Amino acid sequence: MTELILQALYSGLLQGGSYALIALGLALVFGTMKVINLAHGELVLLAAYVAYAVESGLGLGPMFAIPIALVLVCIAALLVCFVISRIQRDREINSLILTYGIGVILTNLILLVWHADVRSTNSTWLQEAFVVGPFYSMRSELIFFGVSIALMMALWWWLSRSWYGRAVRAVASNRDAAKLMGIDPGRTELVSFIVAGMLAAFAGVALYSYGVIQPAYGGALTVKAFIITVLAGIGSIPGVLFGAVLLGVAEALTVTLASSALQELAGMTLFLLVLFVMPNGLFGAAQRRG
Amino acid sequence: MSRKPRGQLKFNSTLVALLVAGYGVVPFALGANNYIMSMVVAALVIGGVALSWALLGNLGGMISFGHSAFFGVGAYVSALATVKLGVPVFAGLALGGVGAVLASIVMLPVLRLRGPYFALAILAYAHIFRILATEWRSVTGGAGGVAGIPAFPSMLGFDFGTKMGAYLIALTLVLGFAFVYARIRASYFGLALRAMHDSEDATRMVGVNSTMLKAAMLMLSAFMAGVFGAVNAHYINFLEPDYAFNALWVTLPIVAAIFGGYRTISGPVIGALVVYLADQLVFKAVMPTGHQLVLGVLLVVMIVFSPSGLMPSLKPLLKKRTAPHART
Repeated sequence: MTELILQALYSGLLQGGSYALIALGLALVFGTMKVINLAHGELVLLAAYVAYAVESGLGLGPMFAIPIALVLVCIAALLVCFVISRIQRDREINSLILTYGIGVILTNLILLVWHADVRSTNSTWLQEAFVVGPFYSMRSELIFFGVSIALMMALWWWLSRSWYGRAVRAVASNRDAAKLMGIDPGRTELVSFIVAGMLAAFAGVALYSYGVIQPAYGGALTVKAFIITVLAGIGSIPGVLFGAVLLGVAEALTVTLASSALQELAGMTLFLLVLFVMPNGLFGAAQRRG
Repeated sequence: MSRKPRGQLKFNSTLVALLVAGYGVVPFALGANNYIMSMVVAALVIGGVALSWALLGNLGGMISFGHSAFFGVGAYVSALATVKLGVPVFAGLALGGVGAVLASIVMLPVLRLRGPYFALAILAYAHIFRILATEWRSVTGGAGGVAGIPAFPSMLGFDFGTKMGAYLIALTLVLGFAFVYARIRASYFGLALRAMHDSEDATRMVGVNSTMLKAAMLMLSAFMAGVFGAVNAHYINFLEPDYAFNALWVTLPIVAAIFGGYRTISGPVIGALVVYLADQLVFKAVMPTGHQLVLGVLLVVMIVFSPSGLMPSLKPLLKKRTAPHART
């Protein structure tokens, strides 16, 4: 039993890597635009399907899909950003409905192009077992966990050292003050969307490399990303990683100890619990109550 | 500052024409065509859910992505009560509504949350209820669902189990709820709710219990959605968790309400009729899979170009046409 639980903890940890990438994208956009992009999960799923198309169409490994996925998902993210910026009034409420609609569009586009079947990678190299001490995982899980950590470090560097990264943080903390300092909020929003799209592209390819995908999965991904930002609060990369790992572990433990049908329930319960007991998240100070 | 009370019921010619069309013209014109009638019934059910969604959005100021929870709970409660306990079907409808209200009481803590947090917390509840319906096999029958749900019975020599019967029931319920909605909007509570929309803090200051009002709106909205879930269950006679709690029961009402105008009363219902019939008769014929794509596009276009919906933008046109008559 202990071994099973340890194994679940390990799997949850690895899963947390890509969850964190998805959640960071959502949090970045929320930071600059104060908009929850309900189509974010669909952007991730788009990247996953690009990986599927590259593998099944060109016969290349999913890894080679990353450049194409980056371009396509960033274009899609820019389109989303453009449409949101066209909202005239009541942005908080209308942006939710708008991005919900974009999510419906993307889901059905994916359904039209790639059909409703469940897909997963054929690559035996990626699926080969990789054993670290007592822990077992697929090679792809470990690779993409490494990639996620590297990306998060890059993101941390970008946010704290580069001009645009600092601009993103400035706009997130005080839009008007940032404007007075000569930062163009519109352009900063665009940049945050591009970075979110890049993170989503990597996460999508990762999901396809070690898991199964289907067109309806996008909504669940958005919800998971949102749960993580609620757990972590917005504003700290290690916090988001911790929240993501927590969600991954909760899901893996539920599958091990109860049943895979209850996997989603674990995340949802955790979400509601944190929302009601610690409404500012485990780390953050964002205001959520009215 | 004096404001004209909105939503006051005037028994004017438009309303009479609507009633005549609803109860007289449509049944006689389309009654023989079972296919079209079944579409119209489904559209009315969605119109009812759209109305309840719009009530929460307009009066309560809350955007919900979890109305499928109320719809599904209402459907399940009514179906199980009639199948397992032998409750009469019409009592089952009311029980379905009550069940949805109970579900909304569990959700009351979300009222402390704002904007996206509220919207997604309600969505989380919808997922939880779907999983419960799937996993609580001893009561709900699990993923296999509930079969043999009784149809509407015969009453006063008229068989409500037919398409026509379901149509009359759905239409009457939609109109009844629209009436209640209009009365609330015109009442003192409607005024308080509208004031909350402008500034909740200021409204609290003058002694309005805003949390209780919002809770009341959530419960009323849940009741309406639950009743329509129950109507649908007795109309199609079969339920399974993935159907009863399908995201479509949120997507379609949202599109309908936004299309028609969610701050009006007629908008969501008319929107549901237009959107659903167009979706089923036109879009589905053109593209059998993925025709919901059009719904998404519609939602985006409406929010960007006409966020208050079609009905308010049509109003000036209608007024212009009637103006000469008024002058003479």
